[in-house]
Amino acid sequence: MWRMSWSTFRERWTLFAGALLTVAFGVALVQASVMVTLGTGRPRIPAGTPAAEAARIRDAYEGVASLLGMTVMLSCFLAVFIVGSTFAFTVAQRRADLALLRTLGGSRRQVMTLLLAEAVILGLLGSLGGIALGVPFMWIQTWLLTGTGFVPDAFAPVWDNGVLIASVSVGIGMALSGSLAAALRAARVRPLEALRDIGGAARVMTFGRWLWGGTMLLATGAMVSAQGSVDFLGALMIALGVSLCGSVGLSALSPLVVPLAGHLLRPLARFGPLAELAQANLRDGRRRAAATAAPMIALVALLVGLTAMLGTQANAAGADVRRDILGQLVVTSTGADAERIASVPGVEAASTALTADIALTVTHREAPDERYRMTYQSGIVAIDPDAYQRTHRRRPVSGSLDALRGRAVVAGPGVAETGVRRGSSAVARIGDRTTTLKVVARMPATMENNSDAFLVPRDLLPPAAVASARAETVVKVAPGTPVAAVADRLRAARVGKVETVDRWVAARVAEQQEQNDGVMIVLMGLAAVYAVVAVINAMVIAGTERRREFAVARLTGLSRRQVVRSALLESCGVTLIGISLGLLVATAALGGFLFGPSGTEILAVPWRLIAALVAGAFAISALTSVLTTRAATRVPPVALAAARE
Amino acid sequence: MTFPSAQTGAPPAVAPPAVELQSVAKRYGSGETAVRALDGVSIAFPPGTWTAVMGPSGSGKSTLLHCAAGLDRVTEGRVVLAGRDITHASERVLTDLRRRALGFVFQNFNLVGALTAEQNVALPPRLAGVRVGRQQIRAALEDVGLGDRGRHRPRELSGGQQQRVAIARAMVTRPAVLFADEPTGALDSRSARTVLGLMRRMVDGAGQCVVMVTHDPVAAAAADAVVFLRDGRLVDRLAGASAREVADRLATLEG
Repeated sequence: MWRMSWSTFRERWTLFAGALLTVAFGVALVQASVMVTLGTGRPRIPAGTPAAEAARIRDAYEGVASLLGMTVMLSCFLAVFIVGSTFAFTVAQRRADLALLRTLGGSRRQVMTLLLAEAVILGLLGSLGGIALGVPFMWIQTWLLTGTGFVPDAFAPVWDNGVLIASVSVGIGMALSGSLAAALRAARVRPLEALRDIGGAARVMTFGRWLWGGTMLLATGAMVSAQGSVDFLGALMIALGVSLCGSVGLSALSPLVVPLAGHLLRPLARFGPLAELAQANLRDGRRRAAATAAPMIALVALLVGLTAMLGTQANAAGADVRRDILGQLVVTSTGADAERIASVPGVEAASTALTADIALTVTHREAPDERYRMTYQSGIVAIDPDAYQRTHRRRPVSGSLDALRGRAVVAGPGVAETGVRRGSSAVARIGDRTTTLKVVARMPATMENNSDAFLVPRDLLPPAAVASARAETVVKVAPGTPVAAVADRLRAARVGKVETVDRWVAARVAEQQEQNDGVMIVLMGLAAVYAVVAVINAMVIAGTERRREFAVARLTGLSRRQVVRSALLESCGVTLIGISLGLLVATAALGGFLFGPSGTEILAVPWRLIAALVAGAFAISALTSVLTTRAATRVPPVALAAARE
Repeated sequence: MTFPSAQTGAPPAVAPPAVELQSVAKRYGSGETAVRALDGVSIAFPPGTWTAVMGPSGSGKSTLLHCAAGLDRVTEGRVVLAGRDITHASERVLTDLRRRALGFVFQNFNLVGALTAEQNVALPPRLAGVRVGRQQIRAALEDVGLGDRGRHRPRELSGGQQQRVAIARAMVTRPAVLFADEPTGALDSRSARTVLGLMRRMVDGAGQCVVMVTHDPVAAAAADAVVFLRDGRLVDRLAGASAREVADRLATLEG
């Protein structure tokens, strides 16, 4: 059996080369993200770094670890998905061979063994390639991380020899899991199919496909409905989940959808016989179309879905902040200057939030018997509770802001999910003094990323610290006074930077969007390249396997140019289907927000990205189609049409 | 209509048939659009006989071959193959039968392109888990006159040579029945004659049963008997007829 696997392998290497490439690329992607993730576990802090700076660097490493964890997850998913879809396709292309094997006395078990043995060879060879390819991938990933500023330039990924074993296991595992479904399906090939070209096309939509596709779409629906009011990390997870499950579901159901779309393209058939042929091929070659469309669906769904969801989440968080503020202006200044704001004529109320340079150590309880202590260095703001309540709508879910006096602290929205309890104590280190504070209230969670972790009373800070601290003051203008007039007076008093609340919120949202772009680059940069490679790969396999069909078309009277053009039209149709289904999933990723408090206003549709994707997808598939069809029609048609497989 | 024995003379009448179809019907589809590909066919193919199945296109001859070989299930009736009722046999039983008792020869040869001639011939016994010596494989190739081509791949062989490899492959396990689907359909007349000669040797020499579907009156005339199908029914039978007689009979049926 092994020898036979090996000969088949050598003979149809063009078919296998594609599968091999997807395995190698997948292994490289997973390996690179794992090594970079390992790197975040060992922060490199130069000797002599001040404690606060060192803590900040450590925080950056910790923060990026969760992002990279998601990158690993995404890489694994994409690799299994693409390898699976490629294998299913290559097995489908060899249906007649397998049927012949059955006719000659091969059992179902032997067909399975043959295919799984091939998968092991592919996994092994692919992971060797992947290990080599993983090294430059790792450099690229590191460059993306330092380039987007997530970690300092000193960051270095960790090479661990265990990676070698892990990569080989990942490669073989990937190939085996990817080929399992295809092998099971192939084992059901009836021997009769060797004698007649039937069956294969008759039932593309198997029970398994129905089940798998249906389940995945249900899971997608469930996630969408849970989406409305989650924080940044939750939004990212859900967007990932929806894009992944949605792509898998639609890809599984694509043999149903593709002919339907082919039907929609029917009017094209009026544009002459070439268009008619392309449209008919699209409907007839469902499996081929599905294999090409699958990576395209995943690519569009992930890129557009994630970008749109993160953008929308940032907008929603902005709207959330806007709703909370009962003022018209925000002044950014030092603590000393902020004290002059309240006395400016026309100011009814002014509430200052000072960035407190203190360290707070609290106890988290995530489960009844699971508690750990954690120290916060950032996200701690000092406020005056009376002024704060006059300019902010949000109130604690437990306790009252009025109690924020003396040695007290309020757990802010940033720690709402971590289980800091009211009544528990927190240790504050202010300069070189240590004080124990009591947690008097808990604020509700917000959707904003990096929202305040703790609120402390302003008088906790020494006067010198107050004066030099960074201050953001929300100003409520007295009724009847024009806002612009007050803004002018504040500017004239040279207090600091004066903005309208809307402007201020927009700047915060823009800052978040910028960070989102960084997240997208780290998360999707290499993965997107992988998906593009997979699209090209599927098209090349499809093209080379169609030599005979093209030859027959030419013998029927089509010129080479016409064959190329008809194949081009067909691939444009497939691209259209892939993009449309991908956008459908992306839309689902946004679905939950539509019913949120802000409605459709906050939707961030990445039009430019969509336009770029559409243009890029058509350009790539058109170019690939033309090149492969030209290559496949180079030989005179008579030689091919008569040739035996 | 029943044709208990397709042979004139040679084998002892008491031998049980290698393949037997009893009142077999095969329908495709259901309701209004149902097609009766076979309609109450009863026929027995005894060991050591060579029967050609002929008929106009769509007469059901390929379906008859598929049903007799256990590649397709019958809608009604019974199929007995190598002494075993395979009408409702499981896939495992059928696989086992294909390994032990059946050989196939196809119009388009169906050799595995990746394997050499020797490897192709060795494939069925290897799939069956039977150890066969290299000598035996070479002998099988020598039997079909290709002793020196064992290392060649199918694409390096002519059509006639490929079909001879296919015959060697079908015969290497010494099956009780050989099913041939237009074995000379893709060959020139000289290659066809060689192939037909090889099949005759198998029937007379090894006492095997050959069931052959063909369009070619010359090929049919090489068989011991010719049965004619029309619209899924057996309508006629000739024994020891010449190619011209077979062609005339076929023309009458098609007319």
